[in-house]
Amino acid sequence: MDYQYKNGVFIYYLPKELDHYYADKLKRKSEATFASEQINYLIFDFSNTRFMDSSGIGLITGRFRRIHDKGGQTFVVNVTPAIDKLLKLSGIYTIIKKKDTKEDIIKEMVKGGYYE
Amino acid sequence: MNNTNEMIVEFKSVAMNESFARMVVAAFIASTNPTLEEVSDVKTAVSEAVTNSIIHGYDSQDGRISILSRVEGRQVYIEIRDEGCGIPDVKKAMEPMYTTRPKEDRSGMGFSFMEAFMDRLEVESTVGLGTVVKMWKEIGVVKHHFE
Repeated sequence: MDYQYKNGVFIYYLPKELDHYYADKLKRKSEATFASEQINYLIFDFSNTRFMDSSGIGLITGRFRRIHDKGGQTFVVNVTPAIDKLLKLSGIYTIIKKKDTKEDIIKEMVKGGYYE
Repeated sequence: MNNTNEMIVEFKSVAMNESFARMVVAAFIASTNPTLEEVSDVKTAVSEAVTNSIIHGYDSQDGRISILSRVEGRQVYIEIRDEGCGIPDVKKAMEPMYTTRPKEDRSGMGFSFMEAFMDRLEVESTVGLGTVVKMWKEIGVVKHHFE
């Protein structure tokens, strides 16, 4: 599973290597759903990801921009230290939030008025 | 004792080869006994340079990219070369967040990452002839990139 949409929540299960090749592939696959649904929460799950370059930053900021205008929030979760280093360096944590687990994200969503 | 080693690899400019390029360099520099973090740094830098060649140098068209790497003790040198369109203003291209393709979700962080993860970076480019990215890194030297 590469992505999932349910009840206003869009989750990307990112690939093992998030480079230009895999980022573009993921974008193409998910575009129809991403463009048509109302996304209140966007989650990038890095559980399986062992490598990332700046193409990953491009993917996240590009998606972020599209949902932010409509009031959506963006999270990253299960980030390894190597990937955390890139995310920090890119300055992306000024616009998105990092959480250790999905449960932490749900807690934050519920605070913001989310219910299943 | 001569502890220098060198390799040259050339491949087609297709996105699929981005992972091949960083793997082959990572394997080649294994003799320097790098930490996982150092391997990751080098892989990211190589991936950035090769991706630039594919997307910008060749505009996703057919072309050749070559990588020369040299290891001397724990010194690593990597040279990534394309014969693509070249960069008209290298200084501008190296500015963080600068991209000629914001609509394609390019972050404009490629050169910033190369600079951050390697010790030294040089870019030589001639419009119409191509681009050479040269990078140096000493393995085993603790370095704080940022913060």
